[in-house]
Amino acid sequence: MRGLAQAVTSGLLIGAVYGLIALGLNIVFGTMRVVNFAQGTLLMAGMFMTYWLWELGGVHPYISPLVTAPLLFGLGFAVQHLFVSPLLARERAREPMSVLLLTLGLALVLENVALLFFSADFKTVTTDVSMQTFKIAGLIVSVPRLVGLGAMVATSLVLYLFFMHTDLGRAVRATGQDREVARLMGINDFRIYGVAYGLSAAMMGIAAAVLVPFFYIHPGVGTSFLLKAFVIVVLGGLGSMPGAALGGLLVGVIEGAVALWVQAAVAQIVLFAVFVAILFVRPAGLLGVERR
Amino acid sequence: MTRLSASVGLALLSIVGAALVPVATRALIGDDDYWLQVLIWVMFFAYLSAAWNLIGGFGGQYSIGHAGLLGIGAYTSSLLYVHAGVSPWLGMLAGGCLAAVVGGAIGYPCFRLRGAFFSLVTIAFAEMLRVGTELTDSLFGLPINGVRGFLLPVAGSRPADFQFVGKRGYYYVMLGLLVIILTVGWLVKRSRLGYYLAAIRDDEDAAAALGVHPARAKLLAMVLSSFFTAVGGTFYAQLIGFITPTRTMSLDFSVQMVVMPVLGGIGTVLGPLWGALVLVPIGEVTRALWGGSLQGVHLIIYGALLMLVILKWPQGIDPWLRGLVARRRETPVAAQPALADAPVVAARASPDGGEALLRVDGLSRSFGGAVGVRDLAFEVAPGEVVGIIGANGAGKTTVFNLITGALAADGGDVWFAGRRLGRETPDARSRLGIARTFQIVRPFIGLTALENVMVAALPRAASVAEARREAGRWLAFAGLAHRAGVIASGLSTGERKRLELARALATRPRLLLLDEVTGGVDQRSLPGLVRLMQGIRAEGLTLLVIEHNLRVVTALADRLVVLHLGEKIREGPPQAVVTDPAVVDVYVGATVARG
Repeated sequence: MRGLAQAVTSGLLIGAVYGLIALGLNIVFGTMRVVNFAQGTLLMAGMFMTYWLWELGGVHPYISPLVTAPLLFGLGFAVQHLFVSPLLARERAREPMSVLLLTLGLALVLENVALLFFSADFKTVTTDVSMQTFKIAGLIVSVPRLVGLGAMVATSLVLYLFFMHTDLGRAVRATGQDREVARLMGINDFRIYGVAYGLSAAMMGIAAAVLVPFFYIHPGVGTSFLLKAFVIVVLGGLGSMPGAALGGLLVGVIEGAVALWVQAAVAQIVLFAVFVAILFVRPAGLLGVERR
Repeated sequence: MTRLSASVGLALLSIVGAALVPVATRALIGDDDYWLQVLIWVMFFAYLSAAWNLIGGFGGQYSIGHAGLLGIGAYTSSLLYVHAGVSPWLGMLAGGCLAAVVGGAIGYPCFRLRGAFFSLVTIAFAEMLRVGTELTDSLFGLPINGVRGFLLPVAGSRPADFQFVGKRGYYYVMLGLLVIILTVGWLVKRSRLGYYLAAIRDDEDAAAALGVHPARAKLLAMVLSSFFTAVGGTFYAQLIGFITPTRTMSLDFSVQMVVMPVLGGIGTVLGPLWGALVLVPIGEVTRALWGGSLQGVHLIIYGALLMLVILKWPQGIDPWLRGLVARRRETPVAAQPALADAPVVAARASPDGGEALLRVDGLSRSFGGAVGVRDLAFEVAPGEVVGIIGANGAGKTTVFNLITGALAADGGDVWFAGRRLGRETPDARSRLGIARTFQIVRPFIGLTALENVMVAALPRAASVAEARREAGRWLAFAGLAHRAGVIASGLSTGERKRLELARALATRPRLLLLDEVTGGVDQRSLPGLVRLMQGIRAEGLTLLVIEHNLRVVTALADRLVVLHLGEKIREGPPQAVVTDPAVVDVYVGATVARG
């Protein structure tokens, strides 16, 4: 029983970081109804930025979002402005599918360019917190993973306040509900899209900061997290922000608990079973809303 | 017909040419298998892309997890061969059938939703399958060796066991498979399913409103696509002789199956072939130049091309090639046929014992806090023409959406032909005999005018040829016979309105809902459209008409229903209603305020 409790704790902590990435996906989807395949690439970029800040400038990863988040926001805004907006202006469909392919192309380019420059070698950042653990009620808690959970909770809270209580946040929500009407109300929808994309990119700076102290950095790291995020988004509900957090924790616990308790292969089978079951029972996801 | 036989001739010539390539390379460069190997890869990726194209290209449902299906094929036939001695030829079919079941099971829940969801689910499926296989050492007692994969035993030249010495045998097998999949694509494209998929890709709601069952069409395409993808997986396993989950189920494969048809021309039959012909050699060249040290270079080029094509050249290679070969022929201009040539619309509008054809009762729907329609009740008798008028936002289109099932009602009933409608979807209601046009026209912009109408005729037609004839008649009725061969994106607004009417009529409705036929139309097109609506009325069809133009609607309708803020405020003969002070106040007042 102690073993199980330990596994659940570990799973919850890593699941929080998964949730953070899924949250980024859902912000873009909720606003533009676009699945952003470049989300993982942005995370990878953030992790390399964090790595170089540490290597060259000795900046502690937990401080680096002060630099990386604005940089990534700019990058996201630029990607939106240069590539996605021209396509959105052309497409009239409610879910512009060609944008999905566009971001897929972008992810391929960026990931492989990174491979060219940084090689496939694994890089690590060992900070004072990397190996730290403490015991609470007999459970071992890894400090950097706990920081990850804290970051997810804090980021979600800030986002909630932003979306609910600021004019810009309300404008983002309104555009997500109906782009045409929002435009008629004087909202510049393309600027809002830029903000949403930039915001979700900036969040990858935070995710990168909490990941770097305990996770390898390499060009393919973003894709591996992105694929998990897709599973999470389908489980939790496409476009649902609480769904992303819930799905992340769920996947983390299944992976962590079953892997430690039984074995890793069984964890994948359980995850797959849950995935299929939810698909059939609630195709829109646990907290998703079926729209008709 | 001559054009068709010319295409068939060209295709046969290409196949013979391709079949002679191994003979030629042998004569020219001896037994060098490298070039044959490159050609095998070209054909292999063309094959996989063409299999993906059945659902992704034709249906516009972008799967990014087809490598999972490929892996199912590779593993099924290989396991059967290694552990049960089953010939991979049979294993290939078994793998195909298993993949078809799995593909259908993944597609089924997704196709009730739409768009991006399917992409996410397919990629998540392939990823979980890959990781799961990597971590599994034995399955039901069969060793599958997890991430290490396994070697297929080499049996020498045993065609019955799908094994050949050298590459030539594989070359011919692949050529055969490629011919099969391209033929399947060609047949699907010209079939009922092909037209449904093309319509769904352009506008799923509009297709459903014509009685097409979108989920069923997509599911069928996905099952076909899954089967053939897995067959390709068996070929891959036999060719390489060594399979690992990391390679056979890689995201790489899934992505390449997307990139090639997009570059080649999405939704075309031969696009996958063109895409593979361009991209596979690029991959080979970069690998030859930069080898193992810079392994991702070809993916950079693929990604950049994908972005470039989507942004700057969305139609891709195939239409461009066709444009080079021959200018698209326009159907010859036919004389405008008289309306008498048209089929009798009223054939199905037989009264049901004097009862109302449509009755809505207590119908309500709100959007968040805003009222769309509240407690609405009215009837439409068989053969009657009823107009709905009201200012913008009065709830007129909402009423249509509730009747057709595009929106679910919060409360109240819709009775049609003596039957209470419940959870019927728009396509089911269309098949019952309710047709509609849309306020903002929604033609299938990738199809010709004739094909647009064919989509509507197909659910009731016995054959594609019959639907084509029927569609031609309705186009003539709508005065568009001379534009039959024009792609709908090239039609003017007035022509698109006529096209929508033809499409709605081709569903053989008992009740037709017309939403602002004259809205957004220039003054020159207006009289023709009004004449067309009067022609429809003269055929005795039951109509429910939303119309802003009061002169048009009073001339057309037997009775008017006036909506204001979602509620019915008046109902009666047109002249009495439009002179009613309350109506004038609401309608004209609102109009003035709006103007």
